[in-house]
Amino acid sequence: MLRSLRLAALLGGLLMSAAASAVDVDAATYGYPLTNPFEATIASTPPDLRPELPTDDDIDQSDYSLNLRPEREFTLPDNFWAVKKLRYRLARQDHEAPLIFLIAGTGAPYTSSLNEYLKRLYYKAGYHVVQLSSPTSFDFISAASRFATPGVSAEDAEDLYRVMQGVRAQHPRLPVSEYYLTGYSLGALDAAFVSHLDETRRSFNFKRVLLLNPPVNLYTSISNLDKLVQTEVKGVNNSTTFYELVLTKLTRYFQQKGYIDLNDALLYDFQQSRQHLSNEQMAMLIGTSFRFSSADIAFTSDLINRRGLITPPKYPITEGSSLTPFFKRALQCDFDCYLTEQVIPMWRARTDGGSLLQLIDQVSLYALKDYLQNSPKIAVMHNADDVILGPGDIGFLRSTFGDRLTLYPHGGHCGNINYRVNSDAMLEFFRG
Amino acid sequence: MVKKLLIVTALLAAGLVQADEIPARASVIEADGFTDPLKELKFNPGLDQREFERSTLTALNVYDPFESVNRRLYHFNYRFDQWVFLPVVNGYRYITPSFVRTGVSNFFSNLGDVPNLLNSLLQFKGKRSMEITARLLFNTTLGVAGLWDPATKMGLPHQSEDFGQTLGFYGVPDGPYLMLPILGPSNLRDTGGLVVDYSAENWINFLNMAEVSSDNPEVWVLRAIDKRYTTSFRYGQLNSPFEYEKVRYVYTEARRLQIAE
Repeated sequence: MLRSLRLAALLGGLLMSAAASAVDVDAATYGYPLTNPFEATIASTPPDLRPELPTDDDIDQSDYSLNLRPEREFTLPDNFWAVKKLRYRLARQDHEAPLIFLIAGTGAPYTSSLNEYLKRLYYKAGYHVVQLSSPTSFDFISAASRFATPGVSAEDAEDLYRVMQGVRAQHPRLPVSEYYLTGYSLGALDAAFVSHLDETRRSFNFKRVLLLNPPVNLYTSISNLDKLVQTEVKGVNNSTTFYELVLTKLTRYFQQKGYIDLNDALLYDFQQSRQHLSNEQMAMLIGTSFRFSSADIAFTSDLINRRGLITPPKYPITEGSSLTPFFKRALQCDFDCYLTEQVIPMWRARTDGGSLLQLIDQVSLYALKDYLQNSPKIAVMHNADDVILGPGDIGFLRSTFGDRLTLYPHGGHCGNINYRVNSDAMLEFFRG
Repeated sequence: MVKKLLIVTALLAAGLVQADEIPARASVIEADGFTDPLKELKFNPGLDQREFERSTLTALNVYDPFESVNRRLYHFNYRFDQWVFLPVVNGYRYITPSFVRTGVSNFFSNLGDVPNLLNSLLQFKGKRSMEITARLLFNTTLGVAGLWDPATKMGLPHQSEDFGQTLGFYGVPDGPYLMLPILGPSNLRDTGGLVVDYSAENWINFLNMAEVSSDNPEVWVLRAIDKRYTTSFRYGQLNSPFEYEKVRYVYTEARRLQIAE
């Protein structure tokens, strides 16, 4: 009787703590103008709702390169010359300061616009900032990845960790007080695994780690993204392709406007015009950008490992050779195809088998549940309408992170990171 | 007793959940607050899911008979950019204060308004020609030979028209895609246009510039540096093994858009 009472109290307590603790930002006070998740994902915040940040002229920064896989100098074809060393960007303060690592999202290089934005934000707040490419990006796969088959989060984290150590070794005189870590999208998942690795390696002792819009179940996320290009788009028929449709709209928009003006507000402005895209069209556009990433990953991984799925292993490639036939083949490969044709076979061979379910469990946030639950230094910010999430994912975040989860009602996938309210919350978290 | 307690806690928890979840839209479906955005989309039936492949494969058809040479030139440009051009631009950024750089950019942009005007006249774009004429007048006088750009502040934004666009306007096709050394992506029509614009500029000799720059070649160097400084494109910025194809498509479509507009 007494025991069951205790159990009941415990259960009740658990339920309550899980339900009560997450910080839910309510839509009315949040004030984010884009309530359509697809619009938010594509256009992100309108320029006048972003915080004021320094321009490139005010930032003391340079690009550096690390030679982590010297053998690739000889094994990669000639036209890969630019990515045989891994480049990264360091913005330094002129005094002792904390250093923050930024990890880019799926397929994105260290110069991605969100990375640049985060650099400006944290630089202004007084941090040294190091921008890193995603382990799934073309340059990282060819210059820093040991197996050149990104997707197994723990291995990607190990690669990233080596890169970070390399970065620190290259700047021995940089006065760093402590280390912080953040990433968006897939970079956030990577950040969680890097932080976990750091608990045993202890190279950086990250003081705080912030995950921005991470995938919870990686397989749900890639299935969602793969699905986005299958939407039924009005106006696409035998004589008009999807790109032609979008370009026609863009042309008409500029004709009505009277002149061509490419700026930050363009996409937002375009969506307010009569030519605006429908949800299906926007979904298709987002999906398209991810399909290009998956094509890049599939091609690069296959070529470096000489798997022969896309490029014949001994096919001579010089600077003049056309890659278009391989591009055409890689384009047919979405994330699911890359996972089943390249990641799973390699992972099985290296870890003595295992099923798809086991792989999903190991590469998603599930693998770190206990660690994340017991690490007060890690927090997560997510959106209730993020396109990479599936049912139950937010529930997992709630029960795992408790009050360290901040859930915004709008923003789509990473669309609100450059909103003033979010940026303030991010800075506040690192301020402690 | 226990049952009661359970019910009370369950109720409490439920109450808290409700208090916590102020539905943002009517479409809040999940208990944890997730508003499944994919739920509202219409998807193609399973046998008709090739639109992405169809569009992209069609987009790859750009007439490019000199692809091998073009690709080599692309790599040459990439290297030249990384090893010569960008370091020079960085040095320029380092030694000059930003108002000087803006002045230089405005000055050359004002010179460029002469061919812009000619070409919009050739295309019978009345309103645009008037606007460019006004820009030239304001910027050359009030803006002291173009060093300032008061016209943009007055609501007359810079609009570029080149002879390639004029040719396109009269229906001249693109011709083969060309990668020009240092200058970057182009095609046969636009390369021809470039030559015409250049000779027109020399012939008109606006603000005596053509004469001065043939005597002092450093003006050309400054112009080239300024051009690179104001062009935001970086080789490798798409970070893709297929950057050549993507640049080719974007260039072709961007020109088509400029001509149509």
